[in-house]
Amino acid sequence: MKLSLNWLRELCATDLPAGDLARKLTFAGFEVEGREQRALGPGADVVAARIAASERIAGSDHLSVCQVEDGRGTHQVVCGAQNFQVGDVVPLARPGAVLQGGQRIGRAKLRGVESSGMLCSARELGLSDDHEGLLILPRDTPIGTPIEQALGLPDTIFELNVTPNRPDALSHLGIAREVHALTGAALRVPRPKLAERGPAIEKLARVDVEDPKRCPRYMARVIEGVRIGPSPLRLQERLRSCGVRPISNVVDATNLALLELGHPLHAFDLDRLAGSRIVVRRARPGEPMTTLDGKQRNLSEDDLVIADGEKPVALAGVMGGQTSEVSDGTTRILIESAVFDPGGTRRTSRRHGLHTEASHRFERGADEKMAALALDRCAELVAQLAGGKVAKGVVDRYPSPRPPARIWVRPARVSSVLGTAVSAAEVEQRLQSVGLEKVEEKLSTPPPPSASATLWAVPSWRGDLTREIDAVEEVARLRGYDTIPVVVPKAGVGETAAIAPEQRITRAARAALAARGFDEALNYSFVSERELLELRPDVKPVRVANPLTVEQAAMRTTILAGLLQNVGRALKHGAQDVRLYELGRVYLPRRSEAHPSGDLAWPVDEPRRLGLVAAGHRAPRSWAAPHDPVDFYDLKGAVDDVLGALDVSGTYAPAEEPFLHPAASAALTVGGRRAGVLGQIHPRAAQAFDVPATVLLAELDWELLLSQARALRQSRGVPRFPAVARDLAFVVGADAPAARLLAEIRAADGNGLLEEVTLFDVYRGAQVPAGKKSVAVGLTLRAPDRTLTDTEADALIASVKDRLKASLGAEIRS
Amino acid sequence: MIDELNALLAQAKDELSRAGDEAQVEAARIKYLGKKGSLSAVLRGMGKLASEERPRVGEAVNSVKAGIEDLLERAKQAVAGRALEADLRREKLDVTLPGRPQKLGHRHPVSQAMDDIIEIFARLGFHVADGPEIEWDVYNFEKLCFPPDHPARDMQDTFSLEAATLPRPPEGAPEPPTRILRTHTSPVQIRAMLEARKPPIRVITPGKVYRCDSDVTHTPMFHQVECLHVEEGVSMAHLRGTLDAFVKAFFGPHIQTRLRPSYFPFTEPSAEVDISHPLCGGKGCKICKGTGWLEVLGAGMVNPDELAGVGIDPEKYTGYAFGVGIDRLAMLRHGIDDLRLLFDNDVRFLQQL
Repeated sequence: MKLSLNWLRELCATDLPAGDLARKLTFAGFEVEGREQRALGPGADVVAARIAASERIAGSDHLSVCQVEDGRGTHQVVCGAQNFQVGDVVPLARPGAVLQGGQRIGRAKLRGVESSGMLCSARELGLSDDHEGLLILPRDTPIGTPIEQALGLPDTIFELNVTPNRPDALSHLGIAREVHALTGAALRVPRPKLAERGPAIEKLARVDVEDPKRCPRYMARVIEGVRIGPSPLRLQERLRSCGVRPISNVVDATNLALLELGHPLHAFDLDRLAGSRIVVRRARPGEPMTTLDGKQRNLSEDDLVIADGEKPVALAGVMGGQTSEVSDGTTRILIESAVFDPGGTRRTSRRHGLHTEASHRFERGADEKMAALALDRCAELVAQLAGGKVAKGVVDRYPSPRPPARIWVRPARVSSVLGTAVSAAEVEQRLQSVGLEKVEEKLSTPPPPSASATLWAVPSWRGDLTREIDAVEEVARLRGYDTIPVVVPKAGVGETAAIAPEQRITRAARAALAARGFDEALNYSFVSERELLELRPDVKPVRVANPLTVEQAAMRTTILAGLLQNVGRALKHGAQDVRLYELGRVYLPRRSEAHPSGDLAWPVDEPRRLGLVAAGHRAPRSWAAPHDPVDFYDLKGAVDDVLGALDVSGTYAPAEEPFLHPAASAALTVGGRRAGVLGQIHPRAAQAFDVPATVLLAELDWELLLSQARALRQSRGVPRFPAVARDLAFVVGADAPAARLLAEIRAADGNGLLEEVTLFDVYRGAQVPAGKKSVAVGLTLRAPDRTLTDTEADALIASVKDRLKASLGAEIRS
Repeated sequence: MIDELNALLAQAKDELSRAGDEAQVEAARIKYLGKKGSLSAVLRGMGKLASEERPRVGEAVNSVKAGIEDLLERAKQAVAGRALEADLRREKLDVTLPGRPQKLGHRHPVSQAMDDIIEIFARLGFHVADGPEIEWDVYNFEKLCFPPDHPARDMQDTFSLEAATLPRPPEGAPEPPTRILRTHTSPVQIRAMLEARKPPIRVITPGKVYRCDSDVTHTPMFHQVECLHVEEGVSMAHLRGTLDAFVKAFFGPHIQTRLRPSYFPFTEPSAEVDISHPLCGGKGCKICKGTGWLEVLGAGMVNPDELAGVGIDPEKYTGYAFGVGIDRLAMLRHGIDDLRLLFDNDVRFLQQL
């Protein structure tokens, strides 16, 4: 909200400089987010001048030469604007004047015509962005008046952030009340003086409220004989400085009263209200109406409207309608000052995408009492600015006035919540400073919560104060949060959280991945549905109803979509080697395994997945190492390391996955359950994601891995007896899986002497018959309790050889 | 004769010091100690000596012999050592060639920060609580005292979800079953309190949150950590203490905090929390708009209505809570000036940190 300090000082006589005021307001909960200096500057010799004559310059399509009077004489000024008439009063920058931005006005010749000075637009004066033409001043502005003085400048404008709980502060009076509470400076609430010289209002208009729930109070006044015209310059500037465009004296009066007192008002052209009637009712389904912004709207039954005898003439609390708009010919007006229900106003405002000064305030809650003051203030302004006779009396449909809220406050509670001693006297003083009144009779309900409690009546404008804690907050806010001490809470014995096993495990896995060269990625949880279906055609993802783009419209069902995008982009940027991992959730439209039901149920299943992608080379390009492309076994090695970090063992078997190459993909099994897949990307998926077909992928079920993991590895001691190492080479069928070979070798070890088997060579080629492969393994043999003899080792090797021959038809080479 | 022996020793010493290789050492050995060597020649002259002189001269002969042997041994070692050194120098490494590279991975700055935060709060006695990102609207708003149709909801633009793509709500789930992408980690407060049933409760809840917003300073997904402490006798002074301890542990002991009154439906009193800008040291710079302070988080005392709503007696127990954007903290720590870099996953960026 924009706040004029000049205006504020009229309502609260503080002499604090702007900087101090900004600090005080900020630390009382009204953050001053910006500050604007409104002034023409000391060198701006700009005065009000009347255009006495004007004539086009021959040969120019837009320039005219004007004779202007500024009280000192008549000057000839060339002007490019079109929006004026002879007789208009406009700002004249005299020769020598320096305008905003340092522009110096001099004498010049344009198209051979002498020009001494410049006629200015609002933008040239630095007052607004309006550059439509000259700033036309009211004709009664005295000629020769310095413009700065006529505008009521200089002024400082604060941009204030008013939180949604404080609609009472959305006005100059509201902030004046705060400044009064913070500084003690006297508050001057406007007291409108009205001469009701017209006929009784009941004879001129009739008001019916059909839905008092949505409209708890409706007040109106009628003024006859108004003359529509511009407002005085000073008031126009006030509106402009608060971001409101001046329109006409009557409309400006409603806006001035709004900005001053915070209560929205609306002026209808009474002659355009059919039957001179106001009916506050729900719209009929589909009922049409054209709002002031010229848009035709189809109304809903939930919309509250102000109707006349026939049709809606305003969207209640949101925006007026075109048919009853005040126009140049208007002479009789009805001013509305009403209170509309916050929730209903908000629904209407959102339904029609209309956020206005009025709806902003009504949806936060309006002050029922302020409706009366604002109406009188508005009528007073109209009478001053547009003349006319104010009809006798007001219409006031107010069937059930809200009684003031009452709060019990215990000073001890204030102290205990704030953690610092606050005296009862201070609590009273603070509450009184913001308009709460102490209620002495103690028979009221609810009963006092303690003997020292005091009962307080809340002023009508503070709808946010309903409970003791609200009063506590007021005291804290007004005395300043910096008065609260800094106390670190003691951690209770045994409460201090140990490093959770899960955290330890995750850290170990991350370290393993870092050692393997995987950088960590963090992608958005939503991606394009098309990409998800490319990878997981079997799962229909949860869709975002209001996504920012279609690329972010579906909740990921696999963690790989984002990673694939990352790889594609990195390679396009010229990266040679890309290895990325992401540990995060996927969102599966099914019942959550971990939190299936009850009040702690999770709406969908959100298991964590570990995704890996790799592309490029095994090692960075270097003179010291071969520059081989990364392959399936690099990826598998990385997965093995993750399992190792978790102290989990897994087995691999060929797998079929829609997004993986059918000949280069594996499924990982841990603890008898499928724990993930890995492999080379399927060429089709590679094409869809625009990545090379050599990209490698893995996606692991992190929840399963965690459930199997051991946070702390256990020591097994160090062997005390020496090992025997033997190598063995043999030829088997080319399609015999390594896992099978290793299993057979293990199975030959009846006495538990085989400590380790390392498969260190696989060879297919010239020296090996077609359809066969040569395999070499290193065996480490050890007994836990003695030194193995050669005889024992020989016997075991022999049994391994026999087993390989018998079960796989292996031909032993050495 | 003794003089002759000493001269011999001196001569051998001089000669061996100049021996360049093993052959010269061997030649010297033969020359001095060989059968026809100098020492044997001296020994042969012993016969001419008087018998009482013989033991003295014999002793001297032995000592000179030992001396020459020692000289020979040393000369041999010296020669071998020189040979080895010369040998070693024959093939030299180019130590200026680059080392053999190995690609190491990097942690994402947000996950690093998250880990640090978890650890800092563990020291303060807080444990990690978890909640879903697709959350019941009721937990994200109503239970946190956001009234329906209240403009406070505008503070958080919400992503809603297509109902037809969601599974049937499970039995016992909150009513109404509207589900959204959580806009803050605060609904985990509700879950943590429903689960614990009884204070003391000290939890932090790091995680992803979503808001329908995207510009230079907003991404539609970001990370928050929520801190909740409910216990008897907990006050706003404890809130300040915990904030101060956290900020100092995360950014350094010189960082100051200050609180400004604000409004969040689920806390009362509520505060915006500024920290002195870690980069300019509170002196004021372009990033902090010359103020020396940066707004980093929202905090407050848990609204008593929220406590009552989960069955905790607000008369007996009080609590404080705060929520902080992890991404922003990570940016501050690493001097990252563009939020969107965090989610582009550009390896050129990731490998810098």
